[in-house]
Amino acid sequence: MGDQSRMTLLFVSRLWRRGLLLACLLLTAPAWSADILLTAAEDSAGVQAFAQALAQQRPEDHVTFTALKDLPAPNQLPATTRLILLDLPGLDWRLQDTQGPPTLVLRISRLQARQRLGTAHPAKISLLWSDPPLERQLNLIANILPQARRIGVLYGTDSEFLLPELRQYATPKGLEIVPQRWDNISDSRPLQTLFKSSDVLLGLDDPQLYNPKTAKNLLLSSYAQQLPLVGPNAGFVRAGSLASTYSDQADWLAVLDRLLDHPPANWPRTLYPEHFKVVGNPQVARSLGIEQVDEVAVAARLAEGEKRP
Amino acid sequence: MLLCSAPALADDLFLDSQPLPQVLTATRLKQSAAAVPGSMTVIDSELIKASGARDISELLRLVPGMMVGYTTGNQAAVNYHGTSASDARRMQVLIDGRSVYRAGLATVDWSDIPVAMEDIERIEVFRGPNTVSYGANALMAVVNILTRSPANSQGTRVKVIRGERGINDFYASQGVGWETGDLRLSLSGQQDDGFDSDATGADRRDSRRLSRFSLAVSQTLNAQQSIDWQLDAKEGTNQRPYTYTPVFAGITEGGTNSDVTAKDYAGSLRWNFDFNPEHSLYIQGSAQQWDRQQVWKACDAKVSFSPELTRLWQLNPNYAEQLARHMDTYSQGSAPPGSAAEQALANQVLDQWRNGASQSVCGDIDQSTRESRYDIEVQDTLSLSDSLRLVSGMNYRYDRADSDTYFNGTLDDTTWRLFAHLEWRASEHWLLQGGAMYEDTHLSGNSLTPRVAVNYLINPRHGLRAVYSEAIRSPDMFENNVNWSYRVTNLSSPAYGQNSGQYFVVTRGPGNLDKELMRSRELGYNGFFADLGLNVDVKLFYDEITDMISSPLRNNQYIASNANSSRFTGAETQFDWRMSNADRLRLTYAYVDTTASNPLDKLQTARNSGSAGWLREWGQGWSSALFYYGDDALNQYRFERVDLRVAKRIALGKANVELAGMLQERLDNQPTTWADNNYDHRHVLYFSAELEF
Repeated sequence: MGDQSRMTLLFVSRLWRRGLLLACLLLTAPAWSADILLTAAEDSAGVQAFAQALAQQRPEDHVTFTALKDLPAPNQLPATTRLILLDLPGLDWRLQDTQGPPTLVLRISRLQARQRLGTAHPAKISLLWSDPPLERQLNLIANILPQARRIGVLYGTDSEFLLPELRQYATPKGLEIVPQRWDNISDSRPLQTLFKSSDVLLGLDDPQLYNPKTAKNLLLSSYAQQLPLVGPNAGFVRAGSLASTYSDQADWLAVLDRLLDHPPANWPRTLYPEHFKVVGNPQVARSLGIEQVDEVAVAARLAEGEKRP
Repeated sequence: MLLCSAPALADDLFLDSQPLPQVLTATRLKQSAAAVPGSMTVIDSELIKASGARDISELLRLVPGMMVGYTTGNQAAVNYHGTSASDARRMQVLIDGRSVYRAGLATVDWSDIPVAMEDIERIEVFRGPNTVSYGANALMAVVNILTRSPANSQGTRVKVIRGERGINDFYASQGVGWETGDLRLSLSGQQDDGFDSDATGADRRDSRRLSRFSLAVSQTLNAQQSIDWQLDAKEGTNQRPYTYTPVFAGITEGGTNSDVTAKDYAGSLRWNFDFNPEHSLYIQGSAQQWDRQQVWKACDAKVSFSPELTRLWQLNPNYAEQLARHMDTYSQGSAPPGSAAEQALANQVLDQWRNGASQSVCGDIDQSTRESRYDIEVQDTLSLSDSLRLVSGMNYRYDRADSDTYFNGTLDDTTWRLFAHLEWRASEHWLLQGGAMYEDTHLSGNSLTPRVAVNYLINPRHGLRAVYSEAIRSPDMFENNVNWSYRVTNLSSPAYGQNSGQYFVVTRGPGNLDKELMRSRELGYNGFFADLGLNVDVKLFYDEITDMISSPLRNNQYIASNANSSRFTGAETQFDWRMSNADRLRLTYAYVDTTASNPLDKLQTARNSGSAGWLREWGQGWSSALFYYGDDALNQYRFERVDLRVAKRIALGKANVELAGMLQERLDNQPTTWADNNYDHRHVLYFSAELEF
């Protein structure tokens, strides 16, 4: 089976190279047009806007949106369709069949995937992570707070699995991860313990820890210690976190555009978007006596750093 | 078909759609250290713990320019830069925004403040006048004591301290949280023997014993509103040495003490409204009472209660005193030379003396006071734009003092205050902050004080500042309106046919005192060297107090006036250096040069003073802190002390135990502030054990 898929991969990749050559020769858009089917359990203005934007981005392709409830089982769909899932109920629906069209899953975080799939990885499904990549967030800290060495990280049962990876990225950068478990969000003693031994806090995108209920306590108590929080996402920056990297619709469109140019067999099984932005909170920076985050310049520096292996 | 351009951010499928509240809003964020319009020293929880201090006054030794002395072992006298030999009346002291200097006597009883050291999160000391932000009495400095928020006080803490010099303290607190709020209840007690001996080598009577109760609650009402309320009580006994010396010769009887039972109560409620991220408001109301029960035995000649001597005192206190001090001499002959009326009264008094009024009589003197304060404040914070913020508000205060001895009954005062403070960030580098306060006091009239500061930020971490401010201090009720006389009750034998009598000395305040005016000029630098972890603050100052009321508070011939003035010039600096994750080094130094029209006002200023501290984490739960405190001469006595605290933290499952030993070693052989304040040994040792779970 493994051999077979490798064979397929080899074959497809050869085909792809030939196609690319042809495309270059003819100076036209990619030679094939595809059926791209977007689906989500909930239709919304945002979903519609995204479907429309994708359609504009790829005029050669046939981009449609169908609500999840109106779709047959995944294996009933033509195998040539490229499926894009926009929410988690869509993933649940897709997982009922091991066979089905090649699928890109958007708006799923590492935590959510872990909760749904464990460590398993279903075939023909590419998971495109919505949470900011840990390494990128660490690079952001190194860029805007070059003196920070001790990175305080709150974690819970759901996010604990990220710690080894975080350490793995931190060590070569000379950063120390100071982990602190926070199981009971109504008890803030772990926060105080962590604040005492950190130079900066890195927020993991764990909704058990970072949510509208905890935001006030987290932000006010870390600010009282003059401790900046980086992450966990763009929404938190508006609430009072110092900065974060994030990818918005324009970034995701660029990511999808590249992926859809490739045959599905070449799609990565998981992917952090290579297109991203940086957002900072100038008022918080000013109050903490930190230089304003130059969002464009920092994003460019981070992207440059990621290109170099 | 819709031709849509870039979709609105709100419609962006990929941006977190969780409705997060904006927490760190323009109204909540404070100026960075480099942009503060003045000099600030923050004593954080790490320093508080490492210092091993049992009293707030001891912590203030960590503040450059702060002169910490002691009147007795249980009466700290803390001044910023100086003035006031016996009482510190020129500093504003706040606990969570509530002013704790006494309503009538305007002093701060540091030992009686109803807050335990363990409940303090940090102390922010604003070094310099700031009546605009903190109200009158913020003449020389503001000590702002902030307690731990109930949300950060969860769980159980129990602590005991035992040591030499009778040290015996305890603390216990319980914090609980629920869906919309948190609560902290704490009980604490403190006990020690004070100083060991007075100037003659006799036992010094200045021990203390006290217990406290404190309840703090925070409640969130909805997304925009929250309330915080506190109840505090303190009860205890402060020993006081017996200081009464009979006026008349030949009296040998006397009392043994003039101990005080001190009870302090306080309650406050604060209502916070966040209209939107750019606009917030709070209303804080508080009620406080300071109750000092002090009844002591006095013995003197019966002639003390002579109505004629009383009238003579009212006529001419100098004449009356001269007569009283030399009664035996004059009774051999006739009255000292004076006016006809004076001599007539004096001869009557001398007759009484010859006919038995020279006999000794004892009775009780009730020097108790009860002072109350009710205060309500509204403060509005409005962020007009990214670079403009306005803080404005109104305050009403009612003060009442009740004392037969000092006020012959009850005296009250009301104060209205309006204030506004504007912060304008003119550019990335320039910051202009200014404001004014208007105050109207029933007993001493109205005044307007301005304040203006310019900060130049070299970058966000390094700033230069120039500050000019004026501040006032209203004369307190005692200075201005004292009506001081001793009523002696339970006389051992009747005097002038009565079992009680009014002592002949009566002192009245002038009633028309004006406010003291402070003009302060300051140049400063605050910088944080992020690479080194080093924070530096330097301040040069030139402060003048005019219309100064500096007469000492004595009951014979107390004539207060605005005739005096003082000037303080000098430099201060503080370094706070986190050398590594394990080491922290902190240094402070102040050079203060004083000139004062009243020589007494110079005594409480040390020309050179400072502190040095080294905090270290050794690993495996061990930590140490070494502090040096010194000043070259406070009331002419040198003070130098080294403190060493060694602690070991042990984790027991979910609980934590900390055992600590504290050694204080005096390096000099001098009394502390006054000749009567002496210890038998130059060192003291005490231990603490704390359990947290």
